[in-house]
Amino acid sequence: MQDRSLSYLLLVPAFLIVLATTLYPLAYSLVTAFREWDLTKQRRPGDFVGVDNFGYAFSEPGFQNSLWVTSVFVITSVILTLVIAMSLALLLRRKGRMHTFTRVILILPFAISPALIGVSYRFMFNPEFGVIAKGLGAVFPALDGVPWLASPDLAMAILVLTDVWHWAPYMTFMCLGGLASVPRETEEAARIDGASNLRIIFGIVLPQMKGVLLVVAVLKTIFALKMFDQVVTLTGGGPGTSTETLAFFIFNVGFKWYDMGYASALAWILTAIMMLISVWYVRMLLSERKMATA
Amino acid sequence: MRKTVFWWVERGLLLLISTIVLFPIAWMFLTAFKRPRDAYSLSLDFSPTLSNFVTVFSDPWNLGDMVLNSVIVASVTVLIAVPCAALAAYSFSRFRVRGRKFLFFLILSTQFIPAVVIVLPFFLMFRSLGLLDTRLALIVVNLAIVTPFVIWMIKGFIDAIPTDSEEAAMIDGASRLRVIKDIVLPMAAPGILTSSIFCFILTWNEFLFALILTRRDAVTLPVGLVSFRTERGDLWELMSAAGVMITVPIFIMALLIQKHFTRGMTAGAVK
Repeated sequence: MQDRSLSYLLLVPAFLIVLATTLYPLAYSLVTAFREWDLTKQRRPGDFVGVDNFGYAFSEPGFQNSLWVTSVFVITSVILTLVIAMSLALLLRRKGRMHTFTRVILILPFAISPALIGVSYRFMFNPEFGVIAKGLGAVFPALDGVPWLASPDLAMAILVLTDVWHWAPYMTFMCLGGLASVPRETEEAARIDGASNLRIIFGIVLPQMKGVLLVVAVLKTIFALKMFDQVVTLTGGGPGTSTETLAFFIFNVGFKWYDMGYASALAWILTAIMMLISVWYVRMLLSERKMATA
Repeated sequence: MRKTVFWWVERGLLLLISTIVLFPIAWMFLTAFKRPRDAYSLSLDFSPTLSNFVTVFSDPWNLGDMVLNSVIVASVTVLIAVPCAALAAYSFSRFRVRGRKFLFFLILSTQFIPAVVIVLPFFLMFRSLGLLDTRLALIVVNLAIVTPFVIWMIKGFIDAIPTDSEEAAMIDGASRLRVIKDIVLPMAAPGILTSSIFCFILTWNEFLFALILTRRDAVTLPVGLVSFRTERGDLWELMSAAGVMITVPIFIMALLIQKHFTRGMTAGAVK
């Protein structure tokens, strides 16, 4: 068989899967986004209403709240993950038995189901019998009896904590991969010249890690925008609506209120945000690679 | 080596990190073996029991059904996604197909689409087809998330295989398909295995689709966790036992492919 036709033939099964499971549903939800469709009232899709669903979003407090909540969540969790992952990578790149052990166990958080992470942090922060809540109360008496998940700000903080616990180890491995490709010569020369560790890290290592850190930041942003599982199992969006992220809000609109038209419009707004970021991301990767091969 | 202050600080930090990582996991495992009244105390002095596991596997929880659902959904998803993805990955890696960049970009960018967007139309379609609450529905939807990811990963592994032996075999008259079967597949096997395990973990832990598309018959383990939240409050010791059931198989897999795991995670993104 000719290579030419074979090259296309090999792509067919995967392309069919992507077509059927992603592109078709996307198109379906785009059409729904322009319709009125309240599933509690009508079995079949309703009339086309133009951009009403999108317009409604921007005048509706639930959506605006979820945008705010999502921004707070994304910004804090991305910054914390980035700083922690990079610091861990710097710490773990050295050789040693404890270093190797720590590297191995860092695999575990990523392998745990995020829904389960939410459940177990909910357990540990229970003010009456949660081990972390009680432990903190014993060490700092002022914190005893704090209703962790019943306070809006603290609930958000714990939500961020679970997400950082889940993702920082994964991102540490990406940073370690990046560090491995940074040449050690300049660093060693600086060390011989008597530069301090801090100067070496900030003056020599980090500037060379710029590309990798950018990738980590963008990937983490995308994962944070999608985050859903822990909201359900840890806070349920509460207290009130203080941890209702955009993904969780769309879920509520679609599967509690059964407003399919509005939910689809919201889903497309989220998709648009993610698309912008991912286009930028792929562009950035391609230009990085061009620079690398030039 | 002289043990400087820095040496001790470093050990201290490593110990702290290990504790932060291991503590929540260890606490869940301990709770799974506690009697209900011990689960609500912080004491480590308790007589371990297997009764929570007996309870979750019997009526009304029937965790066994959920284990079966999870195993079937995750395995079938892997069995469909990985072979298709491997073929596509080979094509992307070795051929200069026209529009290849566009196709690859298209497939990659689908990875960034939020799951909640995909699940809305699927809910409506499965509802009209009467496929809600079936394993088939879960498998179809999981393929959407997993396939692009696996293509990306396997391509990274195939890119790393030198083309010399393939070219030599073709000069000797072997067909391309033969080359793929006899040379590329064996060499890419560790990478394909790693990708399969990744794919299995993603599907196994998947929560959103299962939460929306299942009610009773096709419920998977992560969604099953939520059912231990009852009117009498959260049944933590049972939740922990279920958590252990979700976690142990995945930990074993992750540690088995430990070396490739970290490489596979970073292959797609950093390259």
